[in-house]
Amino acid sequence: MAQLTLDKVTKTFQDDDGEIIAVDEVSIDIEDGEFLCVVGPSGCGKSTTLRMIAGLEDITRGEIRLDGQIINDQPPARRNVAMVFQSYALYPHMTVRENMAFGLEESTDMPDDEINERVEKACKDMGIFELIDRKPGELSGGQQQRVALGRAIVRDPEVFLMDEPLANLDAKLKAEMRTELQELQQDLDVSTVYVTHDQTEAMTMSDRIAILNDGVLQQCATPLECYHEPNNLFVAGFIGEPSMNFFPMTLDGSTLTGEWFEYELSDETVAAVEGTTDITLGIRPEDIELVQSDTGPNVFDSTVHVVEPRGNENTAHLQFDESMDDQFIATVGGMKQLNAGQRVKVRFPENAIHLFDTASGQAIRNRTLDEIETVESVV
Amino acid sequence: MSIRDGDFIDQLRSTENSRIGLYALLLAGIAFYLFPVETAVMTMFKTESAFARTLPFAPPGADGFTLDALATAWNTLRPGLVNSLLMAIPATLVSALLGSMTAYGLTTISWRGQVGVVVLIIAGIFIPYQAVLVPLAQFWFQVLPGLLNGFVNTVFGFITGGNWQYPSRNGYVQLLQLSITHAAYGIPICTLLFRSYYQSISDEMIEAARLDGASAFSIYRNIILPLSLPMFAVTLIYQFTQVYNDLLFALVLVNEPASQVATQRLAALTGGVVQSFNTTMAGAIVAALPTLLVYIMFGEQFAKGVAGE
Repeated sequence: MAQLTLDKVTKTFQDDDGEIIAVDEVSIDIEDGEFLCVVGPSGCGKSTTLRMIAGLEDITRGEIRLDGQIINDQPPARRNVAMVFQSYALYPHMTVRENMAFGLEESTDMPDDEINERVEKACKDMGIFELIDRKPGELSGGQQQRVALGRAIVRDPEVFLMDEPLANLDAKLKAEMRTELQELQQDLDVSTVYVTHDQTEAMTMSDRIAILNDGVLQQCATPLECYHEPNNLFVAGFIGEPSMNFFPMTLDGSTLTGEWFEYELSDETVAAVEGTTDITLGIRPEDIELVQSDTGPNVFDSTVHVVEPRGNENTAHLQFDESMDDQFIATVGGMKQLNAGQRVKVRFPENAIHLFDTASGQAIRNRTLDEIETVESVV
Repeated sequence: MSIRDGDFIDQLRSTENSRIGLYALLLAGIAFYLFPVETAVMTMFKTESAFARTLPFAPPGADGFTLDALATAWNTLRPGLVNSLLMAIPATLVSALLGSMTAYGLTTISWRGQVGVVVLIIAGIFIPYQAVLVPLAQFWFQVLPGLLNGFVNTVFGFITGGNWQYPSRNGYVQLLQLSITHAAYGIPICTLLFRSYYQSISDEMIEAARLDGASAFSIYRNIILPLSLPMFAVTLIYQFTQVYNDLLFALVLVNEPASQVATQRLAALTGGVVQSFNTTMAGAIVAALPTLLVYIMFGEQFAKGVAGE
């Protein structure tokens, strides 16, 4: 049972040019048993944050609390956290058994047979029992990954810390391990902080996502909130693959005017954006509709530039004007045939558009979620 | 058998010229390097007159063969060999172990002022033996006995009554002093060798061990030390050869005849008025035996360590 709290945690490094702020007043509450993903581009401070929780990095300002106890100055071993590293960081000269037992031997005075029992149980749980007397060099990447996880589990920590643990696996194994890791975390019910640069991992695995950019926390919310109701331009662009399309526009009365098209806003929306004139319009690729004729407002002509078939869907790179590089992306159903060079009409439905203040990047209006339906259970 | 012979001949026929050239070059290299050794071995089995009559590298004839030179050399060098091993083995082990610990403290653990210490240690590698001979002798002959006498008689005066005397510089003390000198002199180079090796060890692994609750010493004992075995082979071979082959420190620090090391005995053996080449060569071969054995024993580990596996 553990609640981990980051309270205005700040980390600065000294450089020749002065102070570099790696993590800037990040505050997050991680509930007991919660799976929190920290995502962001490389160099955003996510690994530093994790290392501060682990105790591998000093905290410049702020507090980290575990169940209300400040652990800022506790050495790593006393924090009761276990960490899984990207490189697995297994001890190459020890067998799997010794690798997993090492932490228990060093940090507890548990008798040898009890350690052995726990190690063997963890190995069975992880499905690596037959490898228990091998050394890491004789294992595949996926197996080493399991040993690294097993080494964390066997410690029975209050918090799991994971630093891009799946980054070195191939795509298929990664998808498998993702599910497995999620199940494991649910079974163990241990609070987990998981750092990744891969937004798919963050979306699919976590209870909540914390998005960092330049050391600043952009948003901390459930995956779907981050997706549908991003706080700002950065979150909107970072979450989602392919990314949201952005168009810089100017508001004039009830019309947004951009370089390529004009967009008519409803009175309701105009009221919502009151007072801002420089606006960025965002729309997710799957919300762009291909239509046959000018049905209603906000239908534009465009040319198909490139089509990337994915089987379940087609990713179409479209252009308003062929001579310019003004590409935007729309995803359409896999059964819809599209060809490069074709002229099509696209509609940007008003309930699906996001509007951001161009200057500050803050979201002014997010898409409406009226269309969300709940699937009824079959009795 | 005949089929395999045929294969072999076929192989010879189809061998490329470049490969033949390579083998010829390698053979020439072997001959070049082994020629002096072969000459020494041949010479040590020849009588004085046979040596004068034959070419240096030709094997001795039936009448010119003798084991006398080898026997003389062996008997002269034997006590020196024992002394050398007594002195060199502890010195080698101590400098390798201390070098490895120092390197660990200077790479894996981070603390203030580290760079300064590294610079001093690296500077230590380049201090020539000659520069320290006089202070070294003064330290062992005067400074240390004086300090020790003063210390023991002050602190334990109630036992010694102020009459304790530093033991006279007898043979074993001289060997011990030589050994300690070599151990201390070897630490910088050993530290440097281990340091470059430890810098290649993954930081994440050390961090994992810290999270596992291991103390700094436990990390050294359980992780670093087992991983540095190939590097130990490198430093042991290198350091043993250095210490064993040294004559200068031994000449300054060891004057008791019974405590002389192999290099001193070798100098005595060859330093007579009349040059007898067969005993000189026999002495050189006998004196080289321990280093040769060390290379043979640790050769594989040495190669691994140098290759950085």
